[in-house]
Amino acid sequence: MTVREKLQTSVTRIQWTFVDAINSVESALAERIDSGDGLKGHLLISPGIAVVSFLFVGLGLLFYYSILTFDPVDFVVYEYTLENWQNFLGLTRIHQIYYRTIKFSILNTVLSVVVAIPYSYLVIRVESSLVRRGLLFGLFIPFFTGVVVRTYGWMIVLGQNGLVNWLVQTAGFEPVNFIGTPIALSIGLLQYMLPFAVLMITPAIANIDRDLERAARNLGANRWETFRHVVLPLAVPGITAAVIVIFTLTMSMYAIPDLLGSGVLIFVSNLIYAKLFNTLNYPQAAVYSIVLIATTSVLVAVMFRLFGVGTLGIGEGEDS
Amino acid sequence: MMSAGSLRRRFGTDYPLLQWVVFLEVLFLALPTLIILVASFGGGDIITFPPENLSAKWYVSLLSNQDYIDAFANSVLVATFCTALAIPAGVLTAVGLNRYDIRFENTIRLYLLLPFTIPLVVSGVILLILFGRLGWINQLWAVGLALTVINLPFMIWSVSSSVNGLDPMLENAARNLGAGRFQTFLHVTLPAILPGIISGSLLMFILGLNEFVVSLIITTPQTRTLPVQIYSAIRGNISPEIAAVSSIYVVIAIVAILVADRTVGLDQFLES
Repeated sequence: MTVREKLQTSVTRIQWTFVDAINSVESALAERIDSGDGLKGHLLISPGIAVVSFLFVGLGLLFYYSILTFDPVDFVVYEYTLENWQNFLGLTRIHQIYYRTIKFSILNTVLSVVVAIPYSYLVIRVESSLVRRGLLFGLFIPFFTGVVVRTYGWMIVLGQNGLVNWLVQTAGFEPVNFIGTPIALSIGLLQYMLPFAVLMITPAIANIDRDLERAARNLGANRWETFRHVVLPLAVPGITAAVIVIFTLTMSMYAIPDLLGSGVLIFVSNLIYAKLFNTLNYPQAAVYSIVLIATTSVLVAVMFRLFGVGTLGIGEGEDS
Repeated sequence: MMSAGSLRRRFGTDYPLLQWVVFLEVLFLALPTLIILVASFGGGDIITFPPENLSAKWYVSLLSNQDYIDAFANSVLVATFCTALAIPAGVLTAVGLNRYDIRFENTIRLYLLLPFTIPLVVSGVILLILFGRLGWINQLWAVGLALTVINLPFMIWSVSSSVNGLDPMLENAARNLGAGRFQTFLHVTLPAILPGIISGSLLMFILGLNEFVVSLIITTPQTRTLPVQIYSAIRGNISPEIAAVSSIYVVIAIVAILVADRTVGLDQFLES
């Protein structure tokens, strides 16, 4: 036998020793596991449950902190109070930040979905594989680039010495400062969320049988009518998923309102961050956080009712 | 030179209006990325358009900027830790959820979506308070754990789509032919769900490398990751050095896409 063959034999032997060992442990375990019905499934999902429990437990902690007393010197005093909640209810300045966050989130959700649908449709229906790959690359490069980097890119495009102002000045106009305007904020949010929207809507469009569209065309519907009455209704599960994901993500945006909103058009996230790190007022930050969760969840529930069941992987058994 | 006819055959579609709309959308998506690459080669001390002269000096200066180097190392470590933890947790959970009868399944699915339903900034607050009480702030692995917590649904999702695509009869056949549970898993289940694991891991790694809000809240100057470092640099000044370090992310994104395309195909990411 050559050295190589010898090596191979011993490797195989070791492999089998392992497999035998695992098999014996397994059959010993199997007797115990199989006796409890469904226990094995619960055992398998337990690591996932454990990872998420950090958030679940922390959520309880958040409620606890929201009724603790804040003290400028000792920071958190373990005495119960409703003062943090009263502070929140009394400040209209704070309410306006919530309204702004909701307003821009709804606007951005609608814009993202409307802009994403043609993109998703073309990704699925285009015949040239070259174009299709180009579209996928165009989608994944921004998706894989983080929010800070992309926001910085928009600061260069829209800033005082930026690309747009260079074009504006070349055309003979006075330079404009876009940073800090609702336009810059909306552009940044849309570009950030568009890839998410396309990724959520594309699978729904992929599931649409092309013959349905052909049938509609044969029966005399034009392109728009086919789209409106065949494609759009069948894409609803994907659109629902996109609406919920984009709305939730936009509601907790931090970098884009801070950098493109120039600290003027701030969102709730910026408010929470300031409470945490400027005044170290954890109890007040906890209150703002709970209100943000509540607002987001209620609005998501409303959207769920409006659009029906989506493809978020929940409620699969209950077809509507 | 290609003739107009052959160009049309190669790039044209049946949707003349749609294709122009989408073309503009691609430009819109690409604009900030392209502009960063252009600005990073500017020779001046501030970013101007058009760039005064081309130079690679900001890339050279990056090599001696210890803040960026440390932050980059932290980001890579944190993303690796997060992916390494998410693979076993995500695979087991996806197999358990989709292959076994589980009591309260809908409730459990809702529970596992908590990282998506809780706004990210709130997850940051929660983990800051929790890790603070546990004494884990200032630990790099805790940042990695935080990223696993907030991104785990991506891994479960990715693997679930592969698990659902696998015919359970194949596993039964292997068992009938004498393979043990472990052998069946290793030789039948695992190869079938591998594309889901690869795309999920890639997603976890890239998202971990880019994560910002939660990292901003829970990192300290010692555990600061690259996105947080770039953010504080943007707030400080606007030297083209930031564009140079940002373009590293663009390069990483392109490499990740090429890897994804070669290994599992980009279509894998479109399955849900």
